[in-house]
Amino acid sequence: MTRRELISGPNFSGRSAALMALLHDEFAAECFYIGPYSEAALSGLTSTIADEIDLYRARPATKSAAMPASLGRPVFPAFDVAAFSRREPQTLSGGEQVLLALHAFSLSSYPALAIDTALEQLDPQNRDAALDYFDRRKGLAANVAMIDNRLPPPLVGWTSRERSADTHAFDCDPRRLVADLAPRQAPAITIRGLTFGYRHGNTIFRDVDLALAGGTAYRLAGPNGAGKTTLLKLLVGVLAPNAGELTLGDKPYRPWRHGNRAIALATQNPDHQWSGATLADDLARRRAAFARAVDAECFAEPRLEKLAAALGAHSLDVHLYELPLAARKRLSWLWPLAGALPWAVLDEPSLGQDLATREQLAAAIGQLTALGYGVLFVTHDDDFAARIPHRVLAIGDGRVKAL
Amino acid sequence: MTPNGGFAVGLILIALSVVEPGPRGAAVLVALALAFAIIEVRAASLLAARRAALVVLPLALFMGLVWVGIVGEAPYQIAADAVGTRAAALVYVAKLSGRLFFIVTVIQLVFLRFADLTPLQLIRALALPVAVKRMLAITLSLIETLRHAIDRAHIALIASGTLTRAPSLRNALHSWRLIQAVWLSAVTIMLGRMRDKWPVENTMARLDAALAHVPARVFAGDDRIWLPITLGAAAVTLLADLVGKP
Repeated sequence: MTRRELISGPNFSGRSAALMALLHDEFAAECFYIGPYSEAALSGLTSTIADEIDLYRARPATKSAAMPASLGRPVFPAFDVAAFSRREPQTLSGGEQVLLALHAFSLSSYPALAIDTALEQLDPQNRDAALDYFDRRKGLAANVAMIDNRLPPPLVGWTSRERSADTHAFDCDPRRLVADLAPRQAPAITIRGLTFGYRHGNTIFRDVDLALAGGTAYRLAGPNGAGKTTLLKLLVGVLAPNAGELTLGDKPYRPWRHGNRAIALATQNPDHQWSGATLADDLARRRAAFARAVDAECFAEPRLEKLAAALGAHSLDVHLYELPLAARKRLSWLWPLAGALPWAVLDEPSLGQDLATREQLAAAIGQLTALGYGVLFVTHDDDFAARIPHRVLAIGDGRVKAL
Repeated sequence: MTPNGGFAVGLILIALSVVEPGPRGAAVLVALALAFAIIEVRAASLLAARRAALVVLPLALFMGLVWVGIVGEAPYQIAADAVGTRAAALVYVAKLSGRLFFIVTVIQLVFLRFADLTPLQLIRALALPVAVKRMLAITLSLIETLRHAIDRAHIALIASGTLTRAPSLRNALHSWRLIQAVWLSAVTIMLGRMRDKWPVENTMARLDAALAHVPARVFAGDDRIWLPITLGAAAVTLLADLVGKP
């Protein structure tokens, strides 16, 4: 009889350690593991999708068996494996990487699978498909253990292991970041004729027109791989469009050429946004970069210390990579919620966070919007989004539609 | 042709070019490389030549500037304490650049010959001990990790207003921060994998299993044509080099 174990509880309750202990003590010597972000979802040993699948594929005992380059039988109806054949693993979106990892597992001989919050990156359709795949009645002959903040126990057919918080070291309340902010009217962002495609990929956006008003929260919604993160990267200047124009207020805005001056970004993987090893380093670089555009008071050290403390960091000298991932994710909100720039852009901000923190973050974002800031956020978490008054921008088939 | 045969032919050609063949020997080598390019690699050979030119041209220009423009004589003339000339320096730079161009082109040709194989398939097909294959796979993966780290650092530094995507004075001033961020990212990416993913999965054992396939015959198919021709050319080149020497 195979086992299904859901490890639940708040952040910092030792869920990841409990997951590892479960694997070692009760499951098997070797388990397939899908961690929260790419370095723990994919092997990192391959440079093509075919090789990633090939690496994990179950092999016959004889050494002479030459494995074909086939991409394998698809596990999820929504996951078109052949469409990924020309992509590189590291260029996949977070959700796509999780789908690839699940696909690789399905072709492997591992007797157990462990997932540490990774399913939170999947859109509802893929998430349902994954949970359906784990359903014992569907014949998956492997043990599965999972941590997921969006699955309240009890889950039918799963054994729940409830954990309670064992530390208050990282307690946070993001609402405190916006409590003292003064009202500010963010300039509108207008996009006209935006077209973009990756060099070896499909066209992501085709002649997109969009108007984003300050004082409004927008949720970018769409399936995994639709281009949500790509749009955020275009807005902050990490990518340059193939065609099209942006205006900020009534002025042309080309962040890819002149630099980002208006948008505070919190990335999906918090480690994609640090520009220093400590929080002090990171903020010092932002201070230097935005010295002309931002009120000096915003970067005053006492204020930054207060904001960091509200997110669970008791010193600006904290070494970011020594913190737990969930704590780093919380600190990634500091910059957008600090009010330094008129637009806050958050990519999957609630990822890996427990319910209480998600509620507080939603309230903070709602407050930021009420003060006149512009907010653009990406999430697959409908409950989280429902707590923020927002408008939906649907991405798909190269278009962005305001609903 | 097998990857073993391709790499053997490439290694022999490179080794012969390094022993400084005379004009006749060099002509044999170039003819053989051209034949390999036309028959085995076809149109993609132009890509190989273009890439080699991109690598070697800046180096050739720099060497020309130093030896012809500034020093004004060839290194062997300096060593022999002989009267140097710019013409001799030019010949020296041309020979050296030509040899480098040849080596880079041959390496490109061999890899392009097997461009239809994925990196894992290519390494698996080599008749090498698994430990060596593992080292090759990990070395290649480090390149991917660095690319990933560069992407990460770019996102962080552009979004934080430190750098711009387009060339700028700001980029020149803060390029050291990019280097710092890339290494920090690369280290943390590696640590992330080695802490959780690899130990839980025993991923290295999977890699060994994926690389363990040993071809039934090390050389097969067109290898049996190309290897004798290449070895024959090697003999001719070495003999041609010896003829006329005291």
